[in-house]
Amino acid sequence: MVDGKSSAGAGGSLASNPPAVSVRGLWKVYGPNPLSIVGSPDAKLSRSELRAKTGCTAAVSDVSFDVAPGEVFVVMGLSGSGKSTLIRCLTRLVEPTAGEIFLDGEDISKATPQRLRELRRQHFSMVFQHFGLLPHRKVIDNIAYPLEINGMKKTERHARANEVIELVGLHGYAHAFPEQLSGGMQQRVGLARALAVDPQVLFLDEPFSALDPLIRRDMQQEIIRLHRELGKTMVFITHDLSEAVKVGDRIAIMRDGAVVQIGTPEELVANPIDDYVANFVRDIAKSHVLTLRYLARPAQPGDDIDGPELAANIIIRDAAEIILQTHKPVRVIENGKVLGIVSSEDVLRLISGVA
Amino acid sequence: MRHFKKSHLLIGVGLVWIAFSRIFQGDQTLELATSDNTAFTTSVGDVAASIRGNRTKSAAFIYFFNPIRAAINGFVEIIRSIISVPSGNSIIPVIGWFGVVAIVAFAVYATSKLRTALLAVSLLLACGALGMWQFTMDTLAMTLASVLLSLLFGIPLGIWAGLSDRVLKILTPFLDLAQILPTLVYLAPLALFFLIGTASATIATMVYSIPIAIRITAHAIRNLNQSPIEAALSMGSTPKQTLTKVQLPMAKQMIILGVNQTVMAALSFVVIAALIGAPGLGKPVVDALIIRNVGQGFVAGFAVVFVAILLDRSTSAAAKAQEGFIPMTSQQIQRGRIKRGLAGLAAIAAIFASRSVLSLAVWPGSINIAQQVEDVTNHVTKWVTTNLYIFTVGFKDFISNWVLNPIETLLAFSPWFVTLSAIVLIAAVIGGIRVAMLATGLLALIVLSGLWHEAMITLTQTIVATLLTMSIGIALGIWVGRSVRAERILRPFLDAGQTLPAFVYLIPMLGLFGPTRFTAIATGIVYSIPVVVKIVSEGIRAVPVAMIEAATVAGSTVRQIITKVQLPAAKKAILLATNQGMIFVLAVVVIGGFVGSGGLGYLVILGGSKPDLQGKGLVAGFAILLLGVTIDRIAQASARRT
Repeated sequence: MVDGKSSAGAGGSLASNPPAVSVRGLWKVYGPNPLSIVGSPDAKLSRSELRAKTGCTAAVSDVSFDVAPGEVFVVMGLSGSGKSTLIRCLTRLVEPTAGEIFLDGEDISKATPQRLRELRRQHFSMVFQHFGLLPHRKVIDNIAYPLEINGMKKTERHARANEVIELVGLHGYAHAFPEQLSGGMQQRVGLARALAVDPQVLFLDEPFSALDPLIRRDMQQEIIRLHRELGKTMVFITHDLSEAVKVGDRIAIMRDGAVVQIGTPEELVANPIDDYVANFVRDIAKSHVLTLRYLARPAQPGDDIDGPELAANIIIRDAAEIILQTHKPVRVIENGKVLGIVSSEDVLRLISGVA
Repeated sequence: MRHFKKSHLLIGVGLVWIAFSRIFQGDQTLELATSDNTAFTTSVGDVAASIRGNRTKSAAFIYFFNPIRAAINGFVEIIRSIISVPSGNSIIPVIGWFGVVAIVAFAVYATSKLRTALLAVSLLLACGALGMWQFTMDTLAMTLASVLLSLLFGIPLGIWAGLSDRVLKILTPFLDLAQILPTLVYLAPLALFFLIGTASATIATMVYSIPIAIRITAHAIRNLNQSPIEAALSMGSTPKQTLTKVQLPMAKQMIILGVNQTVMAALSFVVIAALIGAPGLGKPVVDALIIRNVGQGFVAGFAVVFVAILLDRSTSAAAKAQEGFIPMTSQQIQRGRIKRGLAGLAAIAAIFASRSVLSLAVWPGSINIAQQVEDVTNHVTKWVTTNLYIFTVGFKDFISNWVLNPIETLLAFSPWFVTLSAIVLIAAVIGGIRVAMLATGLLALIVLSGLWHEAMITLTQTIVATLLTMSIGIALGIWVGRSVRAERILRPFLDAGQTLPAFVYLIPMLGLFGPTRFTAIATGIVYSIPVVVKIVSEGIRAVPVAMIEAATVAGSTVRQIITKVQLPAAKKAILLATNQGMIFVLAVVVIGGFVGSGGLGYLVILGGSKPDLQGKGLVAGFAILLLGVTIDRIAQASARRT
């Protein structure tokens, strides 16, 4: 993973190619006359103040972000933070109150029911926390379901389903029924079903939260592998920060329906925007997330400045062994320039939590 | 604090009521001799007569009621001519008894398993041996026709109500009303429009069983795991695809369970519908009840019980066969197909045999044990009534003297305004002002109908039967709810009790207690105990284990756990059970009109047979409805307010 992550720049903006998913000013308000809240002075109120004043609850309030093609974008928040409602608004399983959602430049929020069905059948698909498998269908017919409702012939859709079965490691289970499978295997079926239509974007709603910790770890590896092989754009919801850090290129942290901060794991750990985020990321091992850029410091008098060179985007954990074995501080290089040096003491101080 | 006050208020109302009742005993009770009409009942009778006179003239009849009647009659007659009555020019039905047995065996075998099929066959043969073959076939034909029609309307409506909140909202009041409507009430009005006969009986049965089909289907659709449905939508399924590929397959098992309930409801009604000319087993039951021949009643009653078990076992076995989606191996599937194929061939052969051999077409008269069964049951009844006199008559007299009579005096022999005010005050205390106002309106209508006294007689019996039902039912419910063994012992009885038509309970009770008020009460108790036990035991079992563990660790005795933890936690279930019990009891108490219970039920039955009392019978039916709604509203309000 030295260079595995396609860093997509900071904040909600993207410099280069157009975003795969773009969300602008998205609101979902429950309660009487929800539209009147959006754009009014009340929109600035906190969730509890809003409820006290208007009787409305803003499940999602004024959310905007962009997801680059091929990026894994994680939305992370505690229960009640609005992340599940958010992803349902993106797929319009829940109708947003206001805002725009662009998928490859097309505004989903304005799609007719007909067009929305087309988009759902061909352009994006979704994986659910509780799998959502059809209990009366075999694995292969569960996976072939989205192809079936699209009018594909049985032999064709079974051929495609078999391809996906191999892809997600369900070999030999095609004719089992969901209730015969373990939770992890059921979610593989869910993944296979979502991949069957070869969508551009995959929405995953806490896909692994219902699984045992060990299985969860396997499935996280699996999603990383699939992402590497297929390069799909993913929007991934989770309440587990370590999972977010593991799979996400960038993470949006939500609180009370609003996005508090968006950034790479490194940015969140290095520069939390407020105490809430800082509290969140406190338990993350910094050495697993931060790169040498974060530790690089100007040489002090007495430092050796002829140590080995290492790239600035190497994660500290991966560089630790080299640095600790070298008796001189290493030089951190970015774009051919020396950013600074890192000594073994700097690394130890970070790992032990003193820094 | 509030609760404390409430009970004091109730006691206060009771004391004042008793005091007034003593003072004005026998004044203004609005008693009306059985054969007398009021101006109102006479005019209702005139309206009924004019409706009857218009059958061939008025457009409503020519273009609406008569065609419906003809269509339903035709449909039922087709089914009857296949299995029960001679078809066309033949002297035998299309399929003789041997063929029918074979078809039933095959159908049950194909949908469940061999053991159930054997049970079904022996039950059918037993009905034949009781000399009831023709009646049994008529009952089956009527039940089949009503169930098919009920499902034809009920399942689509149920699906619609399952998908749309608006449809459910519109249907709910009707479904609720159908649930509290005592069966006896709508027989006469239907017969007025559709004549006495199979059409009226079928429609009445449908009125009774369609709500069950609708309710269970809607419930099945609504209570599905939503996650697969959401997933199906997210993949771009159309509403139709979601329904046919996701919701219906998932709800299938529950819907089949609904079919089972619909079948059992239809059967129990088809038996009662003998009162308006339904062919079948109800007829010999009614005949036996009228001439008070307990043994003869038992013969027909056994056949009803056998048919009930047959239908319940085979349909619930079919529902169970739907459980789980685990596939069989292809070898198993193959073998199953071969077996079913062979069974099918055997059934077809049997049908042909039953069409060509007379002794296989018409049940042989030599195989008939009806007389023996009648003798034995008459004998047993006689032995019980003479030797266990102290228990039967003793219990009857004890209840009559110490419970029934005092309550009857209070309700029916106080001045009407005293009783009415007392009921309204009670409604106000336990249900609040709105329920009190509703009760005032409903009771005032009963007063205006002129049948107040009879209504109070019926109410007395309902209250007494409910009191006894609840004291037995709660005790049994606690036992079943707490002990797995008790559940295992009582479960078959509770299941059987819930599937048997109320009518057949009258037979043994008539044997034990003779034609009295108490017979109806005892029947009501026996009929409604199963439902009460079921609801109470479910309530007890639903109390979280953690609560009981906490109470046990704190050192509670079993008695303390029951009285301080389980009963209070199950209070809602107990109130619900009381409500259900009362409605069940009322339905049976009015049927008890047959065996001397008097009250409104007797007037309804009398109205069916005496033309000059027809109006009074119709009014009495309406009064039963008013009484039922009053009871239900007050009981529901008390459940809501806890």
